[in-house]
Parts: sequence; C-alpha cells; structure tokens
Amino acid sequence: MNTLKILRDLFHYNKEFAAGLLIVLVVLAIAACSFFSPYPPLDVYVVPPDMPPSWEYPFGTTSRGQDVFWQLTFAVRNTLLFGIVVAVISRVISLCVGLVSGYRGGWIDRVLMSINDTFVVIPLFPILVLFYFIMRDQMTWAMLAIIVSLLGWAYDARLIRSIAMSLRTREFTRQAVFSGMGTGRIVWQEHLPFVLPIVFSTTLNNINWSIGIEVTLSVLGFTDINTPTIGGMIYWANQHTALVSGVWWWVTFPIAIVVLLFIGLFLLAISMNEYIDPRSRLSRLGGPS
Amino acid sequence: MTFQPATASGNVEAASSTPVLSVDALKAYYRLKLFGIEREVRAVDDLTFEIGRNEIYGLAGESSSGKSTLIRTIARAIRPPLAVEAGSVRFNFSDGTRDMYRLSPQELAGIRWKRLSYIMQGSMSVLNPVRRIKHSFIDFAMPHVPEKGAAFFDRIGRHLEKLHLDRSVLNAFPHELSGGMRQRVTIALATVCGPEFIIADEPTTALDVIVQKGVLAMLREIQRELGSSVLFVTHDIAVHANLTDRLGIMYAGRLVEEGWTRDLFRRPLHPYTRHLISSLPQIGDDTPKKGLEGSPPNLAAPPSGCRFHPRCPLAVDICRRQAPPMVTVTPGRRVACHVVTADPGLSAPAMEEARP
Repeated sequence: MNTLKILRDLFHYNKEFAAGLLIVLVVLAIAACSFFSPYPPLDVYVVPPDMPPSWEYPFGTTSRGQDVFWQLTFAVRNTLLFGIVVAVISRVISLCVGLVSGYRGGWIDRVLMSINDTFVVIPLFPILVLFYFIMRDQMTWAMLAIIVSLLGWAYDARLIRSIAMSLRTREFTRQAVFSGMGTGRIVWQEHLPFVLPIVFSTTLNNINWSIGIEVTLSVLGFTDINTPTIGGMIYWANQHTALVSGVWWWVTFPIAIVVLLFIGLFLLAISMNEYIDPRSRLSRLGGPS
Repeated sequence: MTFQPATASGNVEAASSTPVLSVDALKAYYRLKLFGIEREVRAVDDLTFEIGRNEIYGLAGESSSGKSTLIRTIARAIRPPLAVEAGSVRFNFSDGTRDMYRLSPQELAGIRWKRLSYIMQGSMSVLNPVRRIKHSFIDFAMPHVPEKGAAFFDRIGRHLEKLHLDRSVLNAFPHELSGGMRQRVTIALATVCGPEFIIADEPTTALDVIVQKGVLAMLREIQRELGSSVLFVTHDIAVHANLTDRLGIMYAGRLVEEGWTRDLFRRPLHPYTRHLISSLPQIGDDTPKKGLEGSPPNLAAPPSGCRFHPRCPLAVDICRRQAPPMVTVTPGRRVACHVVTADPGLSAPAMEEARP
C-alpha cells in the first residue's frame, strides 16, 4: 500500500522517475511481445530477406530472412533477463560479504576485503575473453551470467560494508549482542533493512552494467551466438556486413532499444536514489548551503 | 532537577543479607598493540563493591572516570581492546551463584534478560529505527521468556500498561514516539522478563527534567514491583540524590567513596566527593561556586599514588607515593583517602561549614 503511494508520488513529482518508468515499460512491453511471436527465434529465411521497414515488417527484415521486430523481442527479453540474473546473484554475494565483513570486523573483514579488493582491481574484460577461449562451446548464456555476477559484486560489497560498519557501533546492535543474537540473525534482521534501499538503487545500475558487458562480448562474438540477444543481433549484422550493404535497420533498432533501456534504468536509479537519500531532496530545492 | 537531600529513599532496610552482585578487585584495561604502539588504558582499576538485593546502587563520576567501562565489564558486554585483567564479577541470583567470566556463552545467554538486563547508554537509539517496536521485543526479549505468540504479546501489553504506555506503541516506529515514550519503551524492553538485576547506564541523560522525573519514578516503581536490584549510572548527581539507596563515587577508574546516599550527601568525606556535592546549586544559596582546578587524569598514564592528588587541596606527601586503600570508616561507609582515614574527626567539622 505504502509502496504504491511512494511510487505514485515519485511519478507525480519526479520527472526523471516518470520518464524512466515509461521507457522501461515500453522496453518491457517489447520483451513481452516475444511470447506472441509468429516465428521461432532461431529459424532463418522465414520472411523475404533485406526488406526495409514497412507496414508489413515495421523494423524491416534481416539478410538471414528474419523479421527484425520479432527477433528484437526475443533479444530484449534475453538481454534483460541476463541483466536481472546477474544483478540478483551479484547482489546476494555483495550483501553477504558486505554485511558480514562490516559487522564482524577483525580477521574476517581482512580476509573478505582482500578478496573483494582483488575483484575490484582485476581487469574484467580480458578475464571474460579468457573464459570464452577456455570454455568455447560450454560457454552458455547461463554460464556467462554466473561468471559475470561472480566478477560484479565487489564494488557494492564495499559500499554495504561501510554501512554495516557504522551500524555495528549503534546501540541496537549492542543490545542485540547482549540479548544473545548470533551474527546471522543480527545481520539478517537488524542490518539488512538498512541497506536494502541502497541495494535496490545499485541493482538498477548493475543491470545496466551487466547488459553492457553482455552486449560488448556478443558483438565481438565471445558468447553463445545462437541465443538471440541484443549483442548477438549486432554480431550477425556485422557478419553479413549489414551497414556496407545498406541494411541499416538491422543494426539501428537493436542499438536504439538498448540505449533506451540504459536511459530508462539510469533515470530510475537516480530518481530512486533521490527518494532514498533525503539530503539530495533538499539539495534539489537549491539555494546556498 | 533541584537537589533535595531529604528525599525518602525507601527500602533501605531490605538491602541486606547476601549481596546480589559482588565485584572483587576488578581490573579492566583497554589494551592496544598496533603499529608498534603499545597502550594500556586502565579504565577500571581494582574495584571492589557489593550490591544488595532490592537496592538501587548509584554510581557517580565525571566523564572518563570509567563508569561505562565498569558496567560493561559487569555485564560482560565487552569486546576488544577492552579486557578483564584480574578480579571477578559474581552474581548471586535466586537460582544460584554465577561468576560472569567463568560462564559459557550459552549460560551467559541464559541469564541475560531473564536475570540480568541492561539499559544501554544512549538508550534512545536502542530501538532499531527501521523496524517496528514489536520486532524489537520479538528479537530481544522473546527468546528469554516461555510465552510465545499471542501470549507473549499479552505479556508485553500488560507490562507496557504498567509503564503507562498504550499497546499501540508496539506497531509504531521509534521515530513516531516522543523521547520520553521511547525511553519508557526501552525500560519496558529491559524489564519485561522480570530480571533480578538491572544495569542502567545514563538512562535519563538525554531527557528534559520533567520527563526525567517521570521516567525515574517509573523506574523506581517497576524496581519495587519486581523486587530487583538496580545499578544506576549517571553523572547527574541530583538524580542520584533522588533515586539511589547507596552511592559510589568513581574517580579516574577507582572507587573513592561509598555510602548510603543520604549519609554521603550530608557528610561527604573524600575531598573529591566534597567538591562534587558543594558544586550542586541549592535554592537560597547565592555564593559563587568554585570549580576544581585541573582536569581528570589521562588513564593511559595515571598519576602515581592517589590519582586525585594533583587536584587535591588536602594532598600530603604519602598521596604521591602510595595509592590509598578503601577503608571502612563507619558501618556502610568506605573511603579511599590517606588524609581522611588517618583522622576522620578532621573532616567532619569542615563539612559543616561547607553545607549549612
């Protein structure tokens, strides 16, 4: 109930939120269309190839004889799902690591944070490419999601740790320790509600980040190219030298959709942030500090 | 709160027989060994005292005198770098005696809340700000009482009513309550399991005097009803005058004087206590108050001998060399001062001047 009211107020008073929400809903609607697609996603030459956008084929057709619009619906769905899976898995890891290391401190903190900092500094892209070359055919969509989420939790774990460290010294934590609550219950029941809003905001950013990774890898062909994703579509378009042969719609529409998705999620993330942090609401009013 | 020395302090007689808490030669130090620096802060140094059943024992002293460290040590709510160096803390509950530092974690969890509860310093923030108050009760108190579910909430509800709180506060968030209500909820939380011993660390410091009076009266009421003992810590000496049965004065990690509260206010013996009490404002007294020179010593490098000697007007040679032992001068009255214990008659007339 309350959540709905908050969302309504955000929608009314926060233009970024309204715009972001609309854009994300449009992208979600496109993804939902995939369930009504007349063509299976992997079939080729189901429509005449290289048709420009028209009433019959709103986004045109590819050189492989696929309808760009219906192909795109699958691509958006898979890419979005990829982002969400990565965000959820990496959130779970960063919550566990951040909360436990911030609360326990001492050697647990040192061990967890040295692992954490290792993940912060290792270069992500070469590692992913390396994984692809080692695994080749086993590099499925799910495997890539797991690898990316294992590499993508470290920044947020540090953020969560910093909050947990301050919560550790609060009176209610002392009270909880005094009443005999263990680490698990303190972290889960007392501290988790504090970090959830921040985690929610970083989740949206993390979805963006992982979609970026996925698109980059797919464009270069370092993923399972048979699963239709946004990056995968661009990869096939490049393979058929779409831009040279004038089939611009094959590249343009996937890029437009992914840019829309980025903007939508980004707007949502920053407007959420404003709701979560009341001080930024005040700074919005302007005036000298 | 105005100072009223003649406040009735209730059950003075009841406090007798076996003490509920006996602290024996307790030493608790903060020890830091980091990056080549070794530092030892002797926050509690060689303290011995006892608290009887059904008694409110006050502990007074200025900031950094080791009050909070002492009670954390008593409750065994300590974590590094604070550690107990020597001595013992023994509780004598109705079902047996327990040495706090010989208990296993399970045994310790077993006595907390049920037998021993702790109202923390800054108790305004004891309640988790993002959770409803009923969850605080469930988290902190439920594991320690036999009732579960509806029976548990019934118990809490009855208890809250005793503290003049409505049951509906259980559904509120802490920020929705006033400071006084929050304080009462905190006290309700600490007393809902009917503990035999309550440690209260500055529970009323953040409140204005009117609310403070109400909360103190309530604390007294609940203590009488449960028949528990209270260790009450605050730097506000006027609160002690109103509430406590016995009073211990701490200075720089040591107990310097102890006695019945009324007795102590009427006839303070230790020079530090005398200054403390003569600093209290009184209605009709318009003489300017004189502050004590200097400041409390650094406990990482305390002065030799008596820790009060650099600021003491009565200091003699022996004070610089030897720490004064706690000496019982009259029954129920102990003081740690070379000068006073050498000649108790000397200090009495001086006091009559100080306190008309």
